[in-house]
Amino acid sequence: MRKLITLFVSLAVLAPAWGVGSAARAQQSQRPREGAARGASNAAATETLIRNATVLTITRGTLANTDILIRNGKIAGVGQNLKASDRARVIDATGKYVMPGIVDAHSHSMSDAINEGTLSVTSMVRIRDMLNPTAPNLYRELAGGVTTLNVLHGSANTIGGQNTVVKIKYGRPVAEFIFPGAPPGIKFALGENVKRASSTVLPGQTRRYPATRMGQEEVLRDAFTRARNYKRAWDEHRAAVARNEKNLIAPRRDLQLEPLVEILEGKRFVHAHCYRADEIIMLLNLADEFGFKIRTLQHVLEGYKVAKEIAAHGAGASSFADSWGYKIEAYDAIPYNAAVMTRAGIIVSINSDSDERARRLNIDAAKMMKYGDLTEDEALRLITINPAIQLGIQERVGSIEVGKDADLAIWTAHPFSVYSRVETTFIDGDIFFDRQQDLARRPELQREREELLKAEVNRPPTEGGAQPGAPRRRPANHHDDDDVDNGEGDNHR
Amino acid sequence: MVASVASSPTSWVARAQRSAIDTYAITGARIVTVSGAEIARGTVVIRGGLIAAVGANVAAPSDARIIDGTGLTVYPGLIDANTNLGMPAATAPRPGGGGAAAFLAAQQQATPAVSSPNSSQPVGLQPEILASDVVRPGGEQIEAARNAGLTAALTAPREGIFMGQSAVINLAGETPQQMIVRSPVALHVGFTPLRTGTYPGSLLGVFAAIRQMLLDAGRYRDANAVYEKSPRGVRRPDQDKSLAALVPVLAREMPVVMYADRQREIERALDLAQEFNLRLVIAGGAESWRVAERLAAAKVPVLLSLNYPRRTTAETPEADPDPVRVLRERVDAPKTAGRLAAAGVRFAFQSGGLSNMNDYLANVSKSLDNGLARDEALRALTIRAAEILGVADQLGTIEVGKIANLTVTRGDLFARERRITHVFIDGRPVDLKPAPAPPAAGGTAAASGSTRASASGTWTLRVQVEGQPERSLTLTLQQETERLSGSIQGDFGSAQIANASVGASGDIKFTVPVTTGTQTTEATFNGTISGNEMRGTFTTVGSGAGTFNGTRAGSTTPQ
Repeated sequence: MRKLITLFVSLAVLAPAWGVGSAARAQQSQRPREGAARGASNAAATETLIRNATVLTITRGTLANTDILIRNGKIAGVGQNLKASDRARVIDATGKYVMPGIVDAHSHSMSDAINEGTLSVTSMVRIRDMLNPTAPNLYRELAGGVTTLNVLHGSANTIGGQNTVVKIKYGRPVAEFIFPGAPPGIKFALGENVKRASSTVLPGQTRRYPATRMGQEEVLRDAFTRARNYKRAWDEHRAAVARNEKNLIAPRRDLQLEPLVEILEGKRFVHAHCYRADEIIMLLNLADEFGFKIRTLQHVLEGYKVAKEIAAHGAGASSFADSWGYKIEAYDAIPYNAAVMTRAGIIVSINSDSDERARRLNIDAAKMMKYGDLTEDEALRLITINPAIQLGIQERVGSIEVGKDADLAIWTAHPFSVYSRVETTFIDGDIFFDRQQDLARRPELQREREELLKAEVNRPPTEGGAQPGAPRRRPANHHDDDDVDNGEGDNHR
Repeated sequence: MVASVASSPTSWVARAQRSAIDTYAITGARIVTVSGAEIARGTVVIRGGLIAAVGANVAAPSDARIIDGTGLTVYPGLIDANTNLGMPAATAPRPGGGGAAAFLAAQQQATPAVSSPNSSQPVGLQPEILASDVVRPGGEQIEAARNAGLTAALTAPREGIFMGQSAVINLAGETPQQMIVRSPVALHVGFTPLRTGTYPGSLLGVFAAIRQMLLDAGRYRDANAVYEKSPRGVRRPDQDKSLAALVPVLAREMPVVMYADRQREIERALDLAQEFNLRLVIAGGAESWRVAERLAAAKVPVLLSLNYPRRTTAETPEADPDPVRVLRERVDAPKTAGRLAAAGVRFAFQSGGLSNMNDYLANVSKSLDNGLARDEALRALTIRAAEILGVADQLGTIEVGKIANLTVTRGDLFARERRITHVFIDGRPVDLKPAPAPPAAGGTAAASGSTRASASGTWTLRVQVEGQPERSLTLTLQQETERLSGSIQGDFGSAQIANASVGASGDIKFTVPVTTGTQTTEATFNGTISGNEMRGTFTTVGSGAGTFNGTRAGSTTPQ
C-alpha cells in the first residue's frame, strides 16, 4: 500500500495507471459464472426444503439435525421432520451447516464511483446512481456466504454521499438489488483521509479545506447550521402559502441540504468513518448538540478507549478484526476492540471495506473468539444480526427465524473453520450461488470461449498490436476505503 | 443604405457563382427513394439545391447538367446521426520553457474548446452553448465523411456534462451559415466529470449536479413567471442563461441526447429522463439491445454507434485471456441493430468516433449479416435519422421539394465492392477523394508510395512533467494512410490509443485513457514525427501538461 501511494504521488500529473478502469481490470482476471446463478434461480421453485442440517440460527442457538422450509422467499419453518409439497426442491444437508447470509456493513462493491471528493460536503450524491449489478466481485462475495451489503461512499470528505443497502441478487436487474425498506443513510468521515494528508497538491491548485480535525468539526457545524436555516426557510414559505400570500417564490430546493435535514429529523442514518478516540468524542458531542444520532461508527479502531461514551450515545460500531498499523491513525488499534466494545454493550459488527476480504468475513468473525473470548454466538452475531441491526433491517435478515427473508448459505463445515466453504447461497429463497452448478457449467463456458475466439474480431491483429494489460496486484492488507489518494479524491477507508 | 450596398457584394458574388450551374439530372439510374417504391430505371432532377423531380418517366430539363446514371444507384444522402464534425478542439498549451512558472502558465493556456461568456456555470455545465455558434466548415474529417458517402450530420460540442446544443449540418458549404440545416436540435449530456479539480469531479457528482441544475431551471422558470406577472414587491430573480437554456428541455420541447453504451449507463439515463420527464435520445447504445423493451416502451430512440469493438491486443501467452464477456461483446456488436429493429426501438446510425470512415458502411453491412433487414438499415442511415433529429421534411428521402442531398453508388450500397461515385449536398456535387485501398500488410504506408510520414513501429517515449522524474513508456503504432491505431504501455499496464491521426507533414496526435483510482480521464498528445524521432506536448485534462520525445526502434520501421 505504501508503495502504491508513492507511485501515485510520483505520477500525480501523468496519472497512476494507463489503461482501463480498475473495475474493468478486475473483470479480466476471473469471470464469474453468472449463468450458474441465473440457471439456478430460474428453477422457480417457490418451495425449498433443506434437510438435516446443523442450523446456526444466531438468535435461537445452534440446532442439530434440523430442517429449514423456505416458501415464497421466506423462512416458513425451522424444526425437525418438516414437510414440503411435492414440487419443493429438497436439499439434503446432512453433515452440513446453515447460517444466515452474512451482512457486510461497509462495502464499496458494485459502485462505479466511490468518492466525490471535490467538496467537503457532498450529501447530494447517491451511491444508488452508481450501482453496477454485473461487478464480478459480487459473485465472489456470494461464494463467501455474503448476501447483504451496505454500499457506502468513500471517506474523502467530511460529509460524503448517500449509501444504499443491497441484496446481492447477481444476474438480476439493478432495481431488484435494492434492499426493500432499508432506512436511508449517509457517509461521514473524520481524520487523515479527510485531511488529505497523503495527497499532493498540484501547482496552481489549492488544498481543499479542511486540512485538520479542527476544520472537520467546523465543516460539520457549518453544514448543520445551514441545514437548520434551510429547513426554517421552507417552513416559513409553507406557512406563507398556507396564509394564501400572493407572488411567492419558493426557496431553492437544495439537494445538498435536504439529506442533512433528514438527519436532523432522525430519518437518515449516519455511518461515520473514524479512527481516533478524540474525533469520536467530538462527533458524538456535536451530534448531541444538534440533536441527532450517529447510527454507526465505521472502523472506529480506538473505540475500545471510549466504549462507554459510544454506548451512552447509542451508536453502533463496525470495525475490522485484526488490521492495524497501516497508517498513523491506526497505530493504537488492537484486535480486542470488537470484544471490548461488545462487553461495553455496543452493537458491534465486523465489516470488510474490501471486495476481497468480504469473501472471508466468516474467518474475521472467528478471530474474535480468539481475541477477547467472545462466545461462538457473539462472534457469529458480528457478521449477521448485529450489522442488520445497524442498518435497520434486522426484521428481515440476520438470523434464521420463521417469517424472515430466506437469505442463507449452506456451508460444508462450521463457518468458523478455515476448511469450510459455501455450497449454496440463497436470497429470498432463490439460489444465487451454487458450487456444483458452477463447476458443472465450466466446460460449457470453455466451449463458448473457444467458439468466440474463432471470430475474426477476437483474433489478435496479424502484426503488432498492444500488449495486454498486466494483472493488477493488490497489497496484502488492502482496504478499498484506503485506495488511491491522488488529488481527485478516491480514498475511502 | 450605403452600408448595405457596401456590405452586399461578396455575398452577391457568391450567390451568382453558385447559380451558374444549379440544375442537374441523374438519368437512367436505379433510384432508392426510401419514401416509396424503388425505381428500377429513372431520373432525379435537382434544381436550386432541391429535388425538383424524380421518377421513371421524368425528362431531364434542357438546362440541366446530365449525369449518366446507367449502372448507378441513387440513395438519399446518408446522415451521420451524431458527430463532432466542425467542432473546435481544446487548445493545447504551448511547451513551457521551464520552472514552476512556465508550468503554471502552460496550465492556464490550456483553454477549453468552447465556453460561454458571462455564464453562471463552469465550463462543462453550460447548456447554452450552441454548436451552430462554433461550427467551422472544411477540414479533413468532414472530407472523410463525404468520401464515405455521408451528406449531413448531427454535430455537437465535444465535451462536458451539459455539453451544449447540437445542430444538423450539411457536410458542404463555405460558411457555417451555409452548412446549418437546423439548430438547435437537442441538448447533449455526457457524463464526464469536470477535469478542473472542482465539483463535480466524479460520476457521483455528475448525477447530483445534473439533478440540481434541472431543479434550479424549474425554479428559474417559475420565479420569472411570478416576477413578469407583477414585478412590484418581488425580488428580481438573477438572469441566468444556463438555466434558461434548460427550460425548453423541461418542457419537452427540446430532446436530450445522453451518451450511454453499457446497459447500466442506459438505465441510468432512462431513470434520469423519467425523473424529470425529459425527451430522451440515447447516443452510443452498444448494449441498448439489453434494454430494448424499456426503450421501446418509453419511445426512446437510439443513435447507434457503428464503432464496433475489435481485438487490438497482441497474442501474448503470459497475459490474462480476454473475459468471455469481452469476447461476446465483440461478436455481438453487429447484432445490436437487428435486435433493436425486432424490438421496435427506433434507431439511426452514427459514426461514434470511428477512425476510418470506410468502416461506416462496412459495419452496417455486418449488421445485415447479423439479422438487420436491408430496408431497416437503409432507413437507419437516412429517414430515421432525419425523423429523430427533426429534419424529416428536409432530408432523408428522395422526394420532390426536399434538400438535394444524394449518395450515388456503383454497386449496391451494402455490397462489398460498391463504390461511392457521386455525392450531392445542397444540390451540388462534391469532389470525392476515395481513400486509397489499405496496404497489403500493416505498416507499409511509406513503402507503398505515400508521402505521409510513417508512424508505424515501436517507439520509446520519454515523458516529462515539470518537477517530476522523467518517465519512459512504450508506444506501438500501426498506420494505414492517415489512420493510426496502437497502444501505449507503462508500469501500470497498457491502453489503446484513440483519436489518433498522422498528417502529411508528420504531425501526430492521439489520446490515451488515464485511470486514477476509479476515474478515467484522458491525456492528449500532440507532436511531430521527423524520421525516427517524435516530439511534442501533452495535456492531461484537468491535471496538467508536459512534454514528450521518442525514438523508434530501428528494426520495425520500413524507412
